[in-house]
Amino acid sequence: MSDQTQFSSLRRRLLLALGTGTAGSLLTLPALAAGKTRERQPVVVVTSYNDEVFSRFEAAFEKAWPQYKLQLVWRMPHDALPYLSQPKQSGADVYWSASPRNFAALAAAGAWQPLGIDLSGLPKTVGKARLTDADGLYTATEMAGYGFIVNPAALAKLGLAEPKDWTDLTAPAYAGQIVMPIPSRVGFAPVMVEILLQAYGWEKGWAVWSGIAGNAGSLMDRGSTFVTDEVASGRRAVGLSIDFFAVAAIANGAPLRFAYPAHSGINPAHIAITKSAGNPAGARAFAQFVLAANGGQKIITHREIHKLPVRPAVYRELPAAYFNPFAAAEKGVFDYDGDLGRDRLGLLSALFEQMLIREHGELVALWQRLHRAEAAGKEVAAARKLLESPLITAAEAADPALQQPFRSRLEGAEPGSVGALEQRWQERSQANRAEAGRLLQQAGV
Amino acid sequence: MRQQTSTLLLLASLLGALPGAARADAAPEPVALREAYTQPLPGLSDPEREQFFRGRSVFRQSWVVAPANDRAAGLGPLYNRLSCISCHQKNGRGRSPDGPDERMLSMLVRLSVPGRDEHGGPKPHPAYGGQLNDEGIPGVPAEGRAAIRWRNLAPQTLAGGEKVVLRQPLVSFVGMAYGKPGNMLYSLRVGQPVYGLGLLEAVPEATVLAIAAESKPDGVKGSANRVWDAAAQRTTLGRFGFKANMPNLRQQSAGAMQGDLGMTSSLFPEENCMPAQKACRAAPSGGHPELSDGDLDAVEFYLANLAPPPRRNADDAQVRRGEQFFADAGCAACHRPTLQTGPSERFPLTANRQIAPYTDLLVHDMGKGLADNRPDYQANGRQWRTPPLWGIGLVPLINEHSQYLHDGRARNLQEAVLWHDGEARRSRQRYAAAGKETRDALLTFLQAL
Repeated sequence: MSDQTQFSSLRRRLLLALGTGTAGSLLTLPALAAGKTRERQPVVVVTSYNDEVFSRFEAAFEKAWPQYKLQLVWRMPHDALPYLSQPKQSGADVYWSASPRNFAALAAAGAWQPLGIDLSGLPKTVGKARLTDADGLYTATEMAGYGFIVNPAALAKLGLAEPKDWTDLTAPAYAGQIVMPIPSRVGFAPVMVEILLQAYGWEKGWAVWSGIAGNAGSLMDRGSTFVTDEVASGRRAVGLSIDFFAVAAIANGAPLRFAYPAHSGINPAHIAITKSAGNPAGARAFAQFVLAANGGQKIITHREIHKLPVRPAVYRELPAAYFNPFAAAEKGVFDYDGDLGRDRLGLLSALFEQMLIREHGELVALWQRLHRAEAAGKEVAAARKLLESPLITAAEAADPALQQPFRSRLEGAEPGSVGALEQRWQERSQANRAEAGRLLQQAGV
Repeated sequence: MRQQTSTLLLLASLLGALPGAARADAAPEPVALREAYTQPLPGLSDPEREQFFRGRSVFRQSWVVAPANDRAAGLGPLYNRLSCISCHQKNGRGRSPDGPDERMLSMLVRLSVPGRDEHGGPKPHPAYGGQLNDEGIPGVPAEGRAAIRWRNLAPQTLAGGEKVVLRQPLVSFVGMAYGKPGNMLYSLRVGQPVYGLGLLEAVPEATVLAIAAESKPDGVKGSANRVWDAAAQRTTLGRFGFKANMPNLRQQSAGAMQGDLGMTSSLFPEENCMPAQKACRAAPSGGHPELSDGDLDAVEFYLANLAPPPRRNADDAQVRRGEQFFADAGCAACHRPTLQTGPSERFPLTANRQIAPYTDLLVHDMGKGLADNRPDYQANGRQWRTPPLWGIGLVPLINEHSQYLHDGRARNLQEAVLWHDGEARRSRQRYAAAGKETRDALLTFLQAL
């Protein structure tokens, strides 16, 4: 028996109705409530959804399934993996989170039992993103897309057009006008790094990232300002983000727009039932509820949440302006393949940190000088090459041995101390910048 | 140089007014007002703005069961919800369950036994402490659950024939895991709005005491609660909480962290486990303390600098008529339309401002119907602090319900008015005797706050 089951059993044994009275009275009346008030069976859900999402699910699910009580165990993805790997999976019945890596890793470790629920009406893919596990162990419950939060008024003031794709953001006109998340610190950002690398290839992808980072006026850390704060205020004109942050803010009145670039990507959230679930029936009820058109799929479209349903039929009931990823995927917007780059996300974040974040001020200054030089018609291609060059090759990044040390660095984990490898990247990055600076100086800028 | 923050600029630009001001010029778009409880006071510097946002993150943080590889570890062992924002949705008002099978998701129950603790406050229940924690981390039994049934009272008839049926909560306790409660006092509390608190903290104690000493009409009295300041180790004026049982924002924050979330702090370093709660006492800790002083500083700063929403439609004829009746009916004797803040070294944006909170920060006898019969320091079982009314009209828009009063029994503002008794009886009688148009005007005025 799992700890949680023992706990539930204990609670059931101890169930005792003690009295009733008007609010605030001295409690001396005999047990009048016994048999009238049901004690609910817990469904233990490990998740990283915030309260705005989960509280609505708690209220709605418990109303729909009065025999169950959701017991929420909040774990960031980096911490959920060891938690669900403990004996009896720490008493969890369900894992529900936006962390495809965790679901795949735990599936490989045999942590899930078959979902065993009706999945009809749920596509297996959107674009190149897989939504449902081939073995039926887990399935997507909602999606989020990547793109740009823009402040139309701020763009107009600057005389800038709305960016259509990532490469637009490397233009000198965007200097200082971009806010971007730090991939090693902000959970959704590593996938964004990967989206560009898949869209443009390794070399050009890093070059585009360097140009964007060089135009970034501010970097967003965890637990600080939101991208929406920065862009809504006009402090920055464009923010790199995931759609629901922006669209929920827009729904609450922020003067923003969210634009999906020509090369976007989908990050799905999944649900799975643990192999050692103490309440598998409750777990299935919850999973079914989350996927129900009039249940969870409707809740996630609330304006405070604004995720993308995985059930295409739901979009027919939504306003025309509600973004439909299935329609967009037909136009090639979602050619990003989450499975393809999953294993290197931690490595990418570490590389990004050393190449573009660590000495960000210096990088920005160099890009501004480079832009001035190019505007003046000077030959500075070599300097540009140095700023754009990735620290390692694509082949090196594909090496599982190199990926391994960085696998646990994602989605809420503290970066920890810099190892020898990162020290080398740091030195290489510093050398590239120093040489680029020297070349620019030679060119007279 | 100080800069106005982004969100403030957004709201102010849409409203044509700054939060905290007594009047707003233009009717706003309702959609923008959904963020009206989350705006900072105008004038935060860049470093202050960072601190404000850090505090916002702490307030929204879902805390984690220890041990965990997460700085947010320390939830429980006994707790009510995972985050501050759970009970103060969008910084606003919590709600009560619709029936006995529905859990309290933004509400809690204070507990005590007859008598006082060593500082004159409520005496904690020997088995359950000062608050019913209806959640426990794995391996620690939750204390139990309070279930609410609603009983309709006999209809009352207002002038013109409108009939109103008020509802009253009936509470039962189920699954009490640590023995029979015996002679237990209890009091229901929904999550309260958290904006404007820094301004209320900046109202000088002398001002509050002077209001208490004033002679008032209609049998209105009002007294200041005197409560224990845990940091200063002395008794002082109570300002916050439904019974004005908290002296300041820092203690309010640290107290809620401990009582609601099970997070220890330097101010309250002990886990919220009673002696008989063995599993609770044996549970792993998330640190000593679990909430860092930096996080406590940040959340205090955030709350101290959260602006109240501006009034809306203040020049509308119906609103003005309601405002006049609000004064004529005697409501303003307790719900003071304006107060003046004093100096504030720690939170200078709150200093020396005229504010419009519609409270006197005093506790008043509100009659038998609302009594919880649970004394809290010098507030007796019939006394409640005059709740601020600023922002009350936005509850349906922002919190998506229209429940009011300490336990959410009032399903709309009219029901809240009709529950007034005791010192507020004459005001309620004037409301009930007024014509429908006048009553509607009063409600329109409240909706514009």
